[in-house]
Amino acid sequence: MQRVANLSEPGAKEAQAAAIEVAELSHVYQGREGKVPALEGISLDVVAGRFVVIVGPSGCGKTSLLMMMAGLRRPTTGTILCAGRPIDVPDPDRIGVVFQEASLFPWLTALENIEFPLSIRGAPRLERRGRADAMLNLVGLAGFGARYPHELSGGMKQRVSIARGLVQDPPVLLMDEPFAALDEQTRMTMGHELLRIWSQTNKTVVFVTHSLTEAVYLADEVLVMSPRPGRIIDRAEVTLPRPRTYEMMATDVFGRLRERIWQNIRKVT
Amino acid sequence: MRPAPATVRRLLLALLLLLWELVPRLGLLPELFLPSLSRTLGVLVHNWVEYGHALAVTLYEVVLAMLIACGAGILIGAVVGGLSRVRQLLLPVFSSLYAVPIVILYPIFTAWLGVGSQSKIAFAGVYGFFPVVLSTAAGMQSIDQNFLVAARSMGASLPQQITRVVIPASMPTVLAGLRLGGALAIIGVIVSEMLTAAAGIGYLVSKYRTVLDSPRVFAAILMILALSVLFDALARSLERRALAWQTAGRRDRGLPVDKETYASATLPA
Repeated sequence: MQRVANLSEPGAKEAQAAAIEVAELSHVYQGREGKVPALEGISLDVVAGRFVVIVGPSGCGKTSLLMMMAGLRRPTTGTILCAGRPIDVPDPDRIGVVFQEASLFPWLTALENIEFPLSIRGAPRLERRGRADAMLNLVGLAGFGARYPHELSGGMKQRVSIARGLVQDPPVLLMDEPFAALDEQTRMTMGHELLRIWSQTNKTVVFVTHSLTEAVYLADEVLVMSPRPGRIIDRAEVTLPRPRTYEMMATDVFGRLRERIWQNIRKVT
Repeated sequence: MRPAPATVRRLLLALLLLLWELVPRLGLLPELFLPSLSRTLGVLVHNWVEYGHALAVTLYEVVLAMLIACGAGILIGAVVGGLSRVRQLLLPVFSSLYAVPIVILYPIFTAWLGVGSQSKIAFAGVYGFFPVVLSTAAGMQSIDQNFLVAARSMGASLPQQITRVVIPASMPTVLAGLRLGGALAIIGVIVSEMLTAAAGIGYLVSKYRTVLDSPRVFAAILMILALSVLFDALARSLERRALAWQTAGRRDRGLPVDKETYASATLPA
C-alpha cells in the first residue's frame, strides 16, 4: 500500500529517486535500404520501486529500448542512467534481465541456471547455493532445483528466469515479454505471481508486453509507444489499488484504462 | 508384452554367430568362402603374437590419426563456424572436399611419407578431419543467439561466453562429429594398411587373401569388427555421459517422456 499512498500525494513522485533515466534517446539502424530510424526522442524516468509497463505495436522498438536499458545495445544518441550512472555495458549488480523464453541454458539444472550469474562473478560455491536456493523458494519452485529446463513447464521455466534475474539482487528488473509464449491461463497466474514476488522484493520493474490486459493488471504506469520510429505517445497512471486481484479486471476503471491505451495505439497504426 | 529392442538385438546377434558356426559345418558353404566361427577364433588364439602385434600397430595409428582429425578438426571447425567471414570463404571448400574420395590421395601420402605408419596416420587423419570440421562449424553456427545475449546480460566476458555457453551449447553436434570422424579414422587406417603396408590388421587381411588362407583373413576381419564396435560403444557412452542433461528425467527417474504432462501435474504454472 506504500506505493499507492506515495503516488496520491502531489510532489511525492518528484521527491523519489529515479531508478532509470532515459534522456533524448534515439536509435537509427542500418537497414538494406539505408538508415532506418527505430527510436526517436525517448525521454522517461522510472521512479524507484515502481512497476512500469511499456506497450506498443510489434516492431515499435520496445524490446530495443529495453535492451538499451540493459546495456546490451547502444543507442545512436541520448543517455541512459541507472542509479545515477550511465549504463554502457551490462551490469548485473544494477540491472537484472528476464527474457522472452528459452534463454535458460538447457545443459544446466534449474538451480545451476539461477547460480550462473554468481558463478560468472566467481562467488564461492556455498554462497551461490544459498542465494540460488532462496530465489528458488521465492519463485515457488522449492524442490525443483535439480530439474533441467526441458523437464519444466513453460511457466516454471519463466519462474526460473525470474529467479536468475533476481539472484544478484539488482534494484532494477527488466522484463522482455516474459510471458508471451505462455497460454492465457498460465500467463494470468504468472502475472499474479510476479506481483507477489515484486511486492516481496521492492524492485523497480520495467516490463515490455503487447498484451493490454496484462499491462493494466500489472502496472503502476503504462507507457504507450508508436510504431516505427518508436516514440512514447501516452503515459497512463493505473490507479487501481494493490494488491491487484483478478476481479479488478471486470471493473470500469480497468476497462476505461485498457480502452484508452487501445485507442491510442489504434490512432497511430 | 513386447520384448525390449535391446533384447531382440542381442538375440539377432547370437543367431548370426550361430549361423556363422553352423553354415560351414553343415557344408552349406565351403570353408574357403566362410570358415566357421570356431576355426576363426582358433586362428586368433593360436597366432595371438602375430595378431596381437598387428593390433598394436593398427591401434597406434588409429589413436594418432584420431588425435589429428579431432584436434585439427575442432580447432579449424571452431574458427570456420565462429567467424562469419572465414565461414563464407571456407565452408563451401570444406563441404566439397568432404565429397572427394580422399583415398585417391593415398599414393601421394606413401610417396611422401613411406609405407610405414606415418603415411597411414596422415591419410586417416585427413580422412577423419572433414566430418569433424563440418560438424564443429555447424555446432558453432547453430548456437541460439539468445543464450549469448542472456550470458552478456549476466556480465559474462568474452572468454566466459566461450567456455560457459559456446562450448556446452555446441557440444551435441561436435560430439556427433567426433564419433563420425573417429570411425572414419579407423576406416582410413585399415584401408591404407590394405593398400600398401608391411604391418597392421589391414595388412594381414590383404596378405592372407592373396594366399587364399580364409580362416586367417576372417580372423583379421573379426578383429577389425570388434575394434570398430568397441570404438562406437566407447564414443556413445562418452556422448551419453557428456550430454546426460538431454535425457535427464526420461531415463533416470522413469518419468513419462511427455514433459508437459508431468511438469504441469505438479504445479499450476
